[in-house]
Amino acid sequence: MDKPVHAGSQDRGIRIEGLRKVYGHGDTAVEALKDVNMVVAPGEVVGLVGPSGSGKSTLLKCLGAVIEPTSGRMILGRDVIYHQRWMISDLRALRRDKIGFVFQAPYLIPFLDVTDNVALLPMLAGVPNAHARKRAVELLTALDVQHRARAMPSQLSGGEQQRVSIARGLVNRPPVILADEPTAPLDSGRALAVIRILNQMARQFDTAIIVVTHDEKIIPTFKRIYHIRDGVTHDEPGEGRGID
Amino acid sequence: MNNNLLARHGRSLSIVAVFLLMLGLLAWVALRAGPLAPVPVRLATVQIQAISPGLFGIGAVEAQYTHKIGPVAAGRVQRVDVQAGDTVRAGQLLGEMDPVDLDERLGALEAGRKRAEANLLAVRSQLLEAEARATFAQTQAKRYDQLLLAQAVSTEAADAKRQELQIAQAALAAVRANLDASRQDVLRADADRDALVRQRSHLRLVSPVNGLVTRRNADRGTTVVAGQAVVEVVEPAGLWINVRFDQQRARGLRAKLPARIMLRSHGDTPLAGKVLRIEPHADAVTEEVLAKVTFDQLPQVPPPIGELVEITVTLGALKATPVVPNASVQRVDGRLGVWLVDATDLRFAPVRIGASDLDGRVQILEGLSGGEQVVVHSFKALTANSRIAVVDRIVDQAP
Amino acid sequence: MISLAGRDIAHAWGKFVLTGIGLGLLIGVTLTMAGVYRGMVDDAKALLDNSGADLWVVQQDTQGPYAEASSLSDDTYRSILGMAGVARAANVTYLTMQVSGLGNDKPREIRAMVVGITPDGAGHPGQPAYLVAGRQLTRSHYEAVADIATGFALGQQIRIRRNDYTVVGLTRRMVSSGGDPMVFIPIKDAQQAQFLKDNDAILRQRERTAQNPLLNRPGVPGLLDAVIASQSSNNSVNAVLVQIDAGADPQSVAEPIRRWKRLSVYTREQMHGILIEKLIATAARQIAMFLVILAVVSAAIVAFIIYTLTLGKIREIAVLKLIGTRNRTIASMILQQAVALGLIGFIVGKVSATFWAPIFPKYVLLETGDALRGFVAVVIICVLASILAIRAALKVDPAEAIGG
Repeated sequence: MDKPVHAGSQDRGIRIEGLRKVYGHGDTAVEALKDVNMVVAPGEVVGLVGPSGSGKSTLLKCLGAVIEPTSGRMILGRDVIYHQRWMISDLRALRRDKIGFVFQAPYLIPFLDVTDNVALLPMLAGVPNAHARKRAVELLTALDVQHRARAMPSQLSGGEQQRVSIARGLVNRPPVILADEPTAPLDSGRALAVIRILNQMARQFDTAIIVVTHDEKIIPTFKRIYHIRDGVTHDEPGEGRGID
Repeated sequence: MNNNLLARHGRSLSIVAVFLLMLGLLAWVALRAGPLAPVPVRLATVQIQAISPGLFGIGAVEAQYTHKIGPVAAGRVQRVDVQAGDTVRAGQLLGEMDPVDLDERLGALEAGRKRAEANLLAVRSQLLEAEARATFAQTQAKRYDQLLLAQAVSTEAADAKRQELQIAQAALAAVRANLDASRQDVLRADADRDALVRQRSHLRLVSPVNGLVTRRNADRGTTVVAGQAVVEVVEPAGLWINVRFDQQRARGLRAKLPARIMLRSHGDTPLAGKVLRIEPHADAVTEEVLAKVTFDQLPQVPPPIGELVEITVTLGALKATPVVPNASVQRVDGRLGVWLVDATDLRFAPVRIGASDLDGRVQILEGLSGGEQVVVHSFKALTANSRIAVVDRIVDQAP
Repeated sequence: MISLAGRDIAHAWGKFVLTGIGLGLLIGVTLTMAGVYRGMVDDAKALLDNSGADLWVVQQDTQGPYAEASSLSDDTYRSILGMAGVARAANVTYLTMQVSGLGNDKPREIRAMVVGITPDGAGHPGQPAYLVAGRQLTRSHYEAVADIATGFALGQQIRIRRNDYTVVGLTRRMVSSGGDPMVFIPIKDAQQAQFLKDNDAILRQRERTAQNPLLNRPGVPGLLDAVIASQSSNNSVNAVLVQIDAGADPQSVAEPIRRWKRLSVYTREQMHGILIEKLIATAARQIAMFLVILAVVSAAIVAFIIYTLTLGKIREIAVLKLIGTRNRTIASMILQQAVALGLIGFIVGKVSATFWAPIFPKYVLLETGDALRGFVAVVIICVLASILAIRAALKVDPAEAIGG
């Protein structure tokens, strides 16, 4: 199928329309996602909440261009990355350049120091090392962990590691960040700090951020929340208490 | 800033350092122990020297003369009076063979001689008697002749007396002949007896010289054959060494050369001696030249006969020529030569060798002129492409 | 560009180096085993090269003097000298026996091959080709040149059978095909040593002869002594070594000797064949088989170690894949680590083999060709092993990094 021409008016941000994902086929087919619709504007931080088995992970994998959906449309910024069984071919480049990941666990590379962990992707992409490291240090400074720039991941506390992993997610200035339970292992103080940082980054770099979570501590901070149940999402305004 | 750089790159630097160290180790191994490694060699300078070749042989101590004393006829040994190691004088009785019946026969011959003498006496008496008869018969014949002339007796009576005279003279001649025969009988009996006495004397074993008994081969009652030695006597002053030299290494051996004698019983002190003569017969089977070497001065305690001896004869010094140790001469591709070292250049120089001495120095007649450096010892066989490293000692020599 | 392989090694360099050393020792053992095999073959070759001979003349229909007993009369060499193409010929005897080194402490007895040579001087057949100390034999009795493997020193007295000899020279790599070091003594002494027994045996033999009425006749004085003297002499040698004229063909010099002298003659190639095929064949095959097994096992262990190292990094590989690292980058990281491990292993192996090879009682020959072949084999095995590991790594699903 040809790549559709008309994309949309936004430069950044996420738009998902009618996304559907079926695992398996025939009698054993499981419909993980039935009809998912999401719009996230640049600079916005939205929550994605749902019980387990609701298709949360599947949606995240589709968003992260890890798996291919069955039908629907996904648009990232200007680019249509999926439209009715057509998917953009270089998923890896997509993940590297357009999507930033923040995982439950920091998943830092243990044999690289903090700066190199953050600067890894640009360096592998061909950016000169000094330049990539400079960018990394800027992000670390923004996240207030620059004093650990030369340390190895094993020497950092949990919170510091999480912040470094956020920096890694941001280093390529992707238009989208997908955060999967980023505050799960943290206490409320640190959890709020993470959310604060995410909001800050969103504002500073015009990034659309989706945070998958069921952490009661941070749900009130979202201005908008997507609930997902049985493969269907619906939008709800959140308390938007914000963070200060 | 510098600290940071060092800190940042410290880890990498140390890893690079370790890696370089390992590469260096590998290179060191390849250069020192592999085929690229130079061969350790020991050099010597060719010197112009006059060497004295030496001859080396082994021999045994022998007596110059060994007198093997024994009977001339088969017989039984009656007694032996000496032991090995006894000193004897010339003429001393060493032992005796069993005379068996010789003594009895001697007695018989004695008796026979006595009888012949008695016979002679009897015949002498007979002679007197016959002479008397003859004289009387002659007187009677003469008387009757005179009486016949006087016609006092008959012719027959005169003839009878003449006949009696003839008979008496014949009888006298007969007795005289008998006397001769009897004298001869006595002489014959004498001769028989003398012969037996002489034979009897051969049964006595007598030492011909002043000397030392070295062997006692038979004891009382042993039967020995003619020619078998019962006792062996040698003159202790007459000891020499019978030495054998390899024919190929005996060039220059001649009489009157000084010799160094190493007796096994004398330990490390050599004795002086001289080559007496080269034997005209060499040993064709073992390919050795035989020679006799005498002691300049016999040791106080004479060495036992048969003891092994090492003889070194030093020939005179030869003309001075370039000389190398024999370990440096090698045969490469069929040619005899030495490995010359010229600064760092190694090459094989063919040479013609001459004589060598017992210490391993060899004359070089052609090919070297003196002053060159030659390889004496090497760790491996050398080729024209070998890299060498000059050392003082190739192996430790601690036992 | 960043070297992921380098960073990983640097981070866990202790483990890496220890693994490399372990691999290296295994590689070193394999190289040493190859060296043992080569050493055996070289012993045989050294025996032939060091004899300085082009032809070996031995008793007819035997494969001596090394592989089989051979006995010739010691004047045979004279007729061989007269044959066309023969430059030099010399008698030689070989006997493996116990040799005692006399010294200040108790005498050391070692097993050596006693070689009887004619001390004709340098370059003659049978003479040691080169010395590492001292000089060649000059006297026809009671001198010896010994190999340094005997442990004897210059000037030391040694006892062979009934006589004492002074060591006047030392050689190297003069060994029998069985690896026993050689001791060269003058041939007349060697003939006596080969033949004459100890004093008790000699006395008993004299008595036996004296009891024989045919040999001990009373009517013939001197007969017994003559018989005993002839029993105590030995006129046999084991072989005649021949050097041929320059440019002569060995086989064409050997053929007339075979035909007319009724002797067996072997050229150097033939002797080499006899030694390799007959003498050391079984032992060499034994070692060669063990070497093959060892190499296969080493290869398997190297592969296993590299595979395991990679599997230990599965989580990091999944993360790298998820955040967008190219397959090529991940594969290159694994390959570089495998090759680096192989390099360290090879260097450790070659260096340790070089250091412990001289300690072996028999000669171990580490050939450069073997080392190079070993190096190529190690690299290939590392590459193959890393391919297996890379396949496992690339199959990892990046989605595993996203929990749930």
